Amino acid sequence: MKIAEGLKVIEKGWIRKPKGYRVRFHRQNETGFEQVYSPPMTDAMLNSDVTAWRYAWKLWQATCEETEEGSPGRLYNITVVDDEDRTIPYYGTGDVEIYNPKKIAGPLEGSV
Amino acid sequence: MNTELTRMQQIGETLALHGREMVLALVILILGLLVARWIDRGLRSLLQRIMPKAGYTTATCNVLYILMVAGVVAIAAVEFGAKPVNILRLLTIIALIAVGLILFLRPLLPSMPFKVGNTVKAGTLLGKVEAITFINTRLRTFDGKTFFVPNSQILNDVVINYHFTQTRRVKIDVNIRYDQDLLKAKRVLEAVMTEDARVKTKPGPMVYVLNLAASAVELGGRCWVDNKNYWVARCDLLEKTKLRFDQEGIRFAFPQLDVHLNPGEAMEGQGTCSPVVSEKRAGGQAEPDETIA
Repeated sequence: MKIAEGLKVIEKGWIRKPKGYRVRFHRQNETGFEQVYSPPMTDAMLNSDVTAWRYAWKLWQATCEETEEGSPGRLYNITVVDDEDRTIPYYGTGDVEIYNPKKIAGPLEGSV
Repeated sequence: MNTELTRMQQIGETLALHGREMVLALVILILGLLVARWIDRGLRSLLQRIMPKAGYTTATCNVLYILMVAGVVAIAAVEFGAKPVNILRLLTIIALIAVGLILFLRPLLPSMPFKVGNTVKAGTLLGKVEAITFINTRLRTFDGKTFFVPNSQILNDVVINYHFTQTRRVKIDVNIRYDQDLLKAKRVLEAVMTEDARVKTKPGPMVYVLNLAASAVELGGRCWVDNKNYWVARCDLLEKTKLRFDQEGIRFAFPQLDVHLNPGEAMEGQGTCSPVVSEKRAGGQAEPDETIA
């Protein structure tokens, strides 16, 4: 195996490099919950997980005080996902973190 | 006396014959220049709003303004009585001479090593180039100050243009203690850089042992990112490196001085302890104790 081939193998299999990050959460509305991505799927992703986690935390902080439990507009399960919609570990602790977790039963109304 | 009278009569006749055209041409010239100026300002603000990052906005507006002024002068001249063909010829000749002079003199004129919109370091100033004129360059530093730097000063100084290349190398230098797992530290630092979305894969991140210093093993992480991401990527990588090292239990080094008390010497002395000072290398061989009497 040539070095170039070996490097390709390492690139594919060693550490996955995400192409970007989005904040994913469930937003309560009048009828149920909808899954929302920020920035939306149509927009470019955030290129920094540090920024994405900070953004997620601020979203949580901004909505947990203003809205009551169960009221429309409240955000649940706020977390950061990569380009394959997989939750990424929080860089500060190395664990998967979800702000304002809530088990949501039933079908979601679709991704926004 | 006669000559002056004749001349006055001639001027009077000329005014009587062409006075109306002259006034009309003058009015067209003044109004036309004012309108051209107004259009130029409007166009500049419009283009800067639509395309704020386009560097060619100023050049486009300048060319359009020159064309508008030339048009106004031509209309005024035609109104005054000049033949349109002659005006067209004159303008063509002027344009050709101007283009020829620019092309001929361009290699001889000193050009600035940057364009509008570039981030540069000129002398001690680091900022974004906002405008370049024949006399000075307007530079806006990142703390919001605007500097008007004479071009001569810039040309005589070292200039770093951060837009000249697309990518830039990030240095993440960390010092770990001698008793820490060096290979693990290298692996963790490389992983932190590799998994960042902004870090380039070619050339890939590398970690080197830079030095075996007095109190620490110095590690140097090197990776490449896009110029526009450099600052934030560097700060993020430093933050992530610190936190990841903490999670992995790798301890950073810091200059340290261990003080040992030798009880034997304390007995021999006049009831006081003699401090023994040594600079200890964590995990390594300590230097022989040096007693301060």
